[in-house]
Amino acid sequence: MKILYSQIKELIPSLKATPKEVTDVLTFIGFMKDGCEEVRHQNKKDYLLSFEVRQNRANCLSVIGLTKEVSAYYGLEIKLPKISSLPVFKSESSLDIEVKASDYVKRILAVKIKRLKNKESPEWLKEFLSFYGINHINLLVDLSNYVMFLTGYPAHLLDTDKINGQLFWSLNNDFDEIMTLDGSNIKLKKDELIIRDNKNVLALAGIIGGRVAEIDVNTKSIIAEIAVYNPSIVIKNSRNLKIITEASNRLGKDLDPNGSEFAIKLLVSMIIENCGGSIDSKLFDFYPQKYISPEIEFDPKLPSIYAGVNIPEAKSLEILKNLGFKIKSFGNKLMIIPPIGRMDVSIIEDLTEEVIRMLGYEKIPSNEIPKLEVVKNITPKNIYLTEKIRDILSTLGFDEILSWPLTEKRDNSKVNYLDWDIVSTQNSLNEDYPDLRQSIAISLINQTQEYFKKNIEHIKIFEIGKVFGKKRNNYEEYEALGILIRIFSKNRGLPMAKETVEKLLRLIGFTDISYKGSKIKPQIANPYSCWDIVIEGETIGILYKLKPQGLNQNTYFTEFNLTKLTKLLEKIHNNPIVELTQKLMVLDANVELKKDESINDFLTDIKKKIKNENIWSVTIIDKFPLKEKNRYTIRVSYKELSDQEAKEIHLDVFNLIPKKIN
Amino acid sequence: MININGKIINKKDLLQKLEENISQINSANELKNLWHDYFGKEGIVKTLFNEIKTLSQKEKKEIAPLVQELQKTILKLFEKKEAELKKSQLKQELIKQAEDLDYKTPKIGHLHPITQTIRMLNKIFVEMGYSIVDGLELEADEYCFQRLNVPPNHPARDMQDTIYIQEPDILLRTQTSSIEARVLENYKPPLKMVCPGRVYRNEKPNKSNHFIFHHYQGFVVMEKISLKDLFGTISYLFEKMYGSNVKIRFRNKYYPEVEPGVGSDMQCFNCKGKGCAVCKGVGWIEMGGAGIIHPNVMKMAGIDTKKWKGFAFGLGLDRWVMAKYNIADIRTLLGGNLGYKYYENENII
Repeated sequence: MKILYSQIKELIPSLKATPKEVTDVLTFIGFMKDGCEEVRHQNKKDYLLSFEVRQNRANCLSVIGLTKEVSAYYGLEIKLPKISSLPVFKSESSLDIEVKASDYVKRILAVKIKRLKNKESPEWLKEFLSFYGINHINLLVDLSNYVMFLTGYPAHLLDTDKINGQLFWSLNNDFDEIMTLDGSNIKLKKDELIIRDNKNVLALAGIIGGRVAEIDVNTKSIIAEIAVYNPSIVIKNSRNLKIITEASNRLGKDLDPNGSEFAIKLLVSMIIENCGGSIDSKLFDFYPQKYISPEIEFDPKLPSIYAGVNIPEAKSLEILKNLGFKIKSFGNKLMIIPPIGRMDVSIIEDLTEEVIRMLGYEKIPSNEIPKLEVVKNITPKNIYLTEKIRDILSTLGFDEILSWPLTEKRDNSKVNYLDWDIVSTQNSLNEDYPDLRQSIAISLINQTQEYFKKNIEHIKIFEIGKVFGKKRNNYEEYEALGILIRIFSKNRGLPMAKETVEKLLRLIGFTDISYKGSKIKPQIANPYSCWDIVIEGETIGILYKLKPQGLNQNTYFTEFNLTKLTKLLEKIHNNPIVELTQKLMVLDANVELKKDESINDFLTDIKKKIKNENIWSVTIIDKFPLKEKNRYTIRVSYKELSDQEAKEIHLDVFNLIPKKIN
Repeated sequence: MININGKIINKKDLLQKLEENISQINSANELKNLWHDYFGKEGIVKTLFNEIKTLSQKEKKEIAPLVQELQKTILKLFEKKEAELKKSQLKQELIKQAEDLDYKTPKIGHLHPITQTIRMLNKIFVEMGYSIVDGLELEADEYCFQRLNVPPNHPARDMQDTIYIQEPDILLRTQTSSIEARVLENYKPPLKMVCPGRVYRNEKPNKSNHFIFHHYQGFVVMEKISLKDLFGTISYLFEKMYGSNVKIRFRNKYYPEVEPGVGSDMQCFNCKGKGCAVCKGVGWIEMGGAGIIHPNVMKMAGIDTKKWKGFAFGLGLDRWVMAKYNIADIRTLLGGNLGYKYYENENII
């Protein structure tokens, strides 16, 4: 919201603060400075101040609203603009208006004015509007804009000679498009709140007027209306039609219907004063449910509790009074009534904020570290796990990347290996990336390709992030770890990938790691080099070699479900620490397995046959390929057993006859 | 001189010859052979001792000590040489096994600057007893907006253009406050939390804005809490991050989930408050929002607002990270342009 310093001075004649001080004050009490520019106004030096109005303070999107804030801060009196001749609405005729969309209309004030002489605006008005970036059109239109900037209430004028029959406020059922005042042809989608007559759509209510009943220099008779709508319909229509105007910005917030009376009186008086004419109707006032400001019980101790510093009751009440709040006492009770325009104040905490912001946040010390009580640590395990993984992988030479979880349409079908459907966005402005990724692979492959473009060829990268899918109408997401390796040497990639997987899992705390052919193989994977990674019988990830397409040469990808890993980790309590009181018994055995038999499964069976407390290690020390089999030499180191006991167990578990024992 | 049965042994010549022989020896085997020449069955020293046996008692008394002394001297020469040889052998062995440092260290891995910043912040808050929590990115409208005091069609939703998955109920979270809403619902106070995380807005990415960025949210719920506690916490955080000379200011700012709301600014590091392009002429850089948790937020989570109060703060991480690591384009943080250069001596292995 822009405001000239001279306007503030005009409304608060006793103001001594400089433009910079006023800017700082407004910034501190809730309206962040957007600019403070020295300008020429009416041939004098002036300052155009601009502020951000984020809060639900439609009243502060006006010169009067912002000036009231300044006057309240300094405790100075504000003089509202004088309405030189208060309009008298004593005509006998009533306006023929029907409000069909009454659910969306809070209040409409309208009046007919006839015998007008429209013309070009005077220089002061043109100059005023130029500060707001508004083109001057003609005196009537420019006055309506002037009143909007002054009061915050958007005003709308219709040329009565261009209206066909009755005026309606209704939801659109009949019109497919509207030519707006700025000449745009807007396609309508139905159900917009519109102003129409018997034949034409005349305006998008709360947003912009239409060309049909526009005011031109020949306009003699008008209907001037100031309406307040339910903000939700204005926001909805503005969003759907992608039109944002000064009017929709204001009516998209909660404007107080009670304040519109002053605005219409000011508008009518200014029109008659500047364009002549006379009132030709009763004031049409559609106000089905009068807004009554709440009476809020105020606890004067609360501002002190919230601020953490003592704020005397008298100070709190002075601030509220300066802001225009009415204060009533009932015995020990203090009841506070917000002034017109303060639709944002309804509970005691709102009042508390008013007191503290006007007192000034700078009055609250900020140099004391709070001594807050010790509370239970509820950090979930996955946080610690992901941090540990990052440390391990960076130590192993991997660089971390972060990427977009949104992907191109075809990407997920290439990398997905889980039984779930794709999740798509409905309204993403980035239409090339409509889907949420189902695997980190796509992100790391894209990153690899970017690196190639930049002549980075040796790649060891990882990402920890969310992957998404949909199962039986339920949306699912879990934290995943993706690791990608691409190296020059043809034969080192897989060993490096496997070593990385196992080092990582072992350092996390898992020992029982195995692999099996993947059930669902991603399209980009070489189907003959694609394995599920299994811990304790549960699949927790996938390891595969990428098909050698394009740039994906010697590239290996691994993905883990970190949510599953975290849960598994909670179950496992490995303790590799032992107290060795006697020497280990080291015994070997040769076994022959068919080529398709798994040595890992075999070893798992062997381990099950030996008591855990007697196993130090079971390792493969040699592998020799035979015609249809592989011969393995297995070495078992037994602990806490005598020679004889160990030999007996060894013979038994390997089904050996004594002479075969090494 | 030693005279045994008329055989004159010139001790000096004998030792001189031995020293000469020893000096020419280069291996343990050669030394062993020489040793045999003196101490073998027919060796010089052995022979002398055999001849002593043939002498009279008187002669024995006279000659034997001289021979023993000679033996002792010879043994010492052998021992000295043996020690020399051992030392030399070890040296040769070490030379043979010697390695050099003429190879390069493999490239180390790097953590993403966003991760590094989150870690830095986490460390500060964990030391103050905060827990770290995370949450869903695919979030329900209820937790992203409604429970944070932003009902449907509330004007505040204008500030956060949302990417919807299933409008209006399922969306990509626009703020990490959604984690706050879930924690308040699921845990009983007192609570001290920080929640770093990724958030989404429906925007076309450009140099300064992205549809994905990172928030760092924190909140505390205690029986006694005030803006003074909040300001103290944020000041402490900024001092830890930027040093004790950092200038901070707090001002009123609207956020629907807090009341009173707070905007926290840091004096522009570039112009020291005078106004420049970095701070867009304002002199201050907006660092984040904060405030006392709105009673509606607490009530929706079933928390008794008469007993409990809370403060919350949220920081945008991306701009901090860009400033710290000299990254000019926000898209670099989440795209292919982020690289980690090789340090001195790093190589591919």
